[in-house]
Amino acid sequence: MLHNWIKIFIYHLKQNKLFSFLNVLGLSIGIAGLIFALLYWNDEHSYDQWNPEKEHVYQVLVDIGEGQVWSDCSLFLKPVLDKDTNVESIMYAESWYQKDKIIYNGKKEFIDKIINVEHDFFSFFPFKIIKGDAISALKDDSSIAISDDIAKRVFGDENPIGKQVKYLDHRFVVRAVYQIPGNSSIAPNAVVNRMKELTATYMTAPFAFKLLIKVKDPLKIENTRKSLEKLYNYDFIIRVAKEAGFTPEEMAKKIGHFTVFMEPLSKARLHSVADGYPEGRGNYQFLLIMMSLSILILILSIVNYINLATANAINRAKEVGVRKIVGASKGDIIRQFIFETILMSLFSILLALVIVELTMPHYNNFLDKNLVLLGNQFYLQLILIFIIIVLVAGIFPAIYVSNFETLKVLKGNFGRSKNGVGLRNGMLIFQFAVATFFIIGSYIVYQQVQYLSNKDLGFKGDQVISVPLHFPSSDYEVENVGQHIYNKYTIIKQELSKIKGVRQASTGLMSFDGSDNSITPVLYNDELFKVKSIALDFGLFEMLNIKIAKGRNFDRKLASDTINSVIINETALKLMNIKNPIGKEIIVGNKNLKIIGIIKDFNLLSPEEKVPPIVFYHLKTVDIARNIDKVFIKLDSDTMENTIADIEQFWTANVGNEYPFKYDFVDKEYARTYESYVKQKNIFLLLNVVVIGIALFGLFALASYSIQRRMKEIAIRKALGADTNMLLRELSKQYIWYCMIGFVIALFPVYYFLNKWLENFAYRIDISIYPFIIGFLALMVLTLIVVLSKAYQATKVDVLKYLKYE
Amino acid sequence: MITIQNLTKIFRTEELETSALSGINLQINEGDFLSIMGPSGCGKSTLLNIIGLLDSASDGSYTLLNQEMIGLKEKGRSSVRKENIGFIFQNFNLIDELSVYDNIELPLIYNNVKASDRKLKVEGIAEKLNIAHRLKHYPQQLSGGQQQRVAVARALINDPKIILADEPTGNLDSKNGNEVMELLTDLHAKGATILMVTHSDYDASFSQRTILMKDGVIFSEKSNQRNVDVFKV
Repeated sequence: MLHNWIKIFIYHLKQNKLFSFLNVLGLSIGIAGLIFALLYWNDEHSYDQWNPEKEHVYQVLVDIGEGQVWSDCSLFLKPVLDKDTNVESIMYAESWYQKDKIIYNGKKEFIDKIINVEHDFFSFFPFKIIKGDAISALKDDSSIAISDDIAKRVFGDENPIGKQVKYLDHRFVVRAVYQIPGNSSIAPNAVVNRMKELTATYMTAPFAFKLLIKVKDPLKIENTRKSLEKLYNYDFIIRVAKEAGFTPEEMAKKIGHFTVFMEPLSKARLHSVADGYPEGRGNYQFLLIMMSLSILILILSIVNYINLATANAINRAKEVGVRKIVGASKGDIIRQFIFETILMSLFSILLALVIVELTMPHYNNFLDKNLVLLGNQFYLQLILIFIIIVLVAGIFPAIYVSNFETLKVLKGNFGRSKNGVGLRNGMLIFQFAVATFFIIGSYIVYQQVQYLSNKDLGFKGDQVISVPLHFPSSDYEVENVGQHIYNKYTIIKQELSKIKGVRQASTGLMSFDGSDNSITPVLYNDELFKVKSIALDFGLFEMLNIKIAKGRNFDRKLASDTINSVIINETALKLMNIKNPIGKEIIVGNKNLKIIGIIKDFNLLSPEEKVPPIVFYHLKTVDIARNIDKVFIKLDSDTMENTIADIEQFWTANVGNEYPFKYDFVDKEYARTYESYVKQKNIFLLLNVVVIGIALFGLFALASYSIQRRMKEIAIRKALGADTNMLLRELSKQYIWYCMIGFVIALFPVYYFLNKWLENFAYRIDISIYPFIIGFLALMVLTLIVVLSKAYQATKVDVLKYLKYE
Repeated sequence: MITIQNLTKIFRTEELETSALSGINLQINEGDFLSIMGPSGCGKSTLLNIIGLLDSASDGSYTLLNQEMIGLKEKGRSSVRKENIGFIFQNFNLIDELSVYDNIELPLIYNNVKASDRKLKVEGIAEKLNIAHRLKHYPQQLSGGQQQRVAVARALINDPKIILADEPTGNLDSKNGNEVMELLTDLHAKGATILMVTHSDYDASFSQRTILMKDGVIFSEKSNQRNVDVFKV
């Protein structure tokens, strides 16, 4: 029996080479898409799942209002938490990784992802300890634990335990080597315990360090949360009110309300309200988009499969009839057709795996991940996909075929039966709707990304590079650090401006990569505002072409501009609602500063967010020069490459070669803040091509079959004198209707979902009529091309063949 | 009306040449009722199809209404066809998906007749052929005789110059067959030109002239003297 089935299967495969191939290809593209989405899904959902403490470890987040959620907490929470009976242990840590060199035996290795935590880190993140032990791993501030990769890099085959390394001018003893069992929200290459010196200094700051709490009973977490919220909204406010000489009520009004969130580690990757962990959050929205789009594409290709199978079944009606007459039961026929679907699905899955394997590097590059085609979970899912495809794509055509009435089939007048036509046309409409969704959707995404990249950012960064500036740590151990660093920076600046092609150099404690999320309290008329404050050097605004709207720029000839002058941006002006702002005083931190100018708003954060209110002052106004970490350099546009080479040479010779010279154009740095959307646009365009390809193939196949079915009608019409144009009109009419119905069905979903997507952006386009018009025209033209080419062929056939023999 | 001279039709396959028609000469005048008879494969259907412009000849000349048809392009053929020729087939060739009314109406649509006129004409002819009560039905719901009457109605609706009938009674029982033949005789009496291919001597006896064909040539032609026996059913 199997042999017989296979023979006829191969016969049909050979008969319809093109359709069979396109069918398998369509199905495998659909499966490949789903595999990609699943790998991504599995990877994101595997974060912290290995961690046995994932439901017990909580991070504390504080919402300070206006959508700002901070992941740093105060040290004054500790005493209360220590008394809390539900709290097993707490740990403060730095929120971000450090990146520096580690020296062993005079050999330098640059290590990124170094994290500074307290001693019981390994009870929160119980990594697998390969050498040494977890308990003593971080017992004092000269202990370091390293990952197995780093151990191999630094020590080679030596046993690292007990060895001494130098890091940040301190000596550390390696006490443990660990291996991270899976994706982790904290996945350091090295762990140190240097929190003590920090916890001593920032005792009273409201937001200082990341706080992790391990609780005994996650159900009772609300009590702990409430007590922490009370510390912020009550104890903290009383204290600062006393210091500032206000009543607590007045202070509460100024500062606003704090909301404390307690989030378990299990939610950290995909469902967190803030970027609390150094590995950051996954993009859950994008994950969902990928998942649903890939499922949609798979449905589309399954629909194609069903359509083709049922349409093709008419050609096989006679075979089915004969099989029934010689004794096949309905079940036999169903089994035979499901068997064929199983073979087709197997081919498709194999082809899909090949497609995935071949395109994996691009996909990994796109997601910035390291996915591989492995894992038990993945294999199970693959089997599940296979079963679902066989069930969905196989059973319907099989039952459809098995229900053919034997007698009708054998009498031969079956080729024109209307069986299943309604269903096929329904599916065709569905395909048109999906194609419409993709065409319009990708056009809108394209428009939005285009809008972002063409938007007037308020600054010009194409001739300005930013160069990271590192001083040796010894420079931070002198008296009057700020002055010292400032002097060093000034010398570099002067030297830089002597290089040919350098127009100007300056600095500012800001970056255009969207990472800046600091907030400073600013008082105007005793009212408190949360704004961003940026310290900078003279000349930065001119370099970046940031325009002064009112008043004047900082002037290096005026001594007051390094003492008590401040410039605010338009958003800050609007927020504080200052009438005649020039000359008015505001209090930034605890300094009284006089407004000398208003600058036009420029984008600093990613375009998802509005321009924040910002105040600018000179570096020396506040003793903050120690934080200088980059130099902005404006170059002549025609000699940029040479100039950068000269700067590099100067840099290695004079600034230090401890850290490699790196630079980045400011506009490119900014463009990276919406890089993920550019990627989304590209993937949407790619999927668009795939979907339209699959849909058009479906249309082509269906049109072929349905025109085949209508050959006799066409012949009659021709005999009656219909000319080609009339026939073409007659044949394509219905598809144009389906196309339009599909288009209309897609209108609402595309409008709804794309609007949702656009809500991500503070600066966004409105959905106009154009994408719809263009989508409609594109769909119509493609439909017509496919249908007309097919119909034209049909009108050229020999009339007699169909009139004579039925 | 139709002059055919030395008409030849050769079918070619890779190995083999078969001549279906070799040197046919035929004259059909307006008002003629001509039948073609002959054994299977004698070329009678091929001749009919060439005259109906559904097929093309290999050589020779065929003039319809003083216009040479050989060498005409598809577009020209379809316009000659829709204006001048009405077809009646053995297997009716109605479009199953269209109602009787829509089937009859088709030639009018292809001849760009106004919708209001179309309605009048269809209803008129349906009345004459006694199928008016069936206009809303679909072909599959009718008996063979009724289907053929629909096909005749369709052939006549456009007042064609010539009606080509390819074994019009072949799929009908004798009663229905007789009805159809009487219909054709009636049409002929009113001046229609009819060319009919048939197997049946009885059917051929309704026509004025019968041409006998064999192996692609016309080998005899006779005039029929039919005395219609009014008492015979």
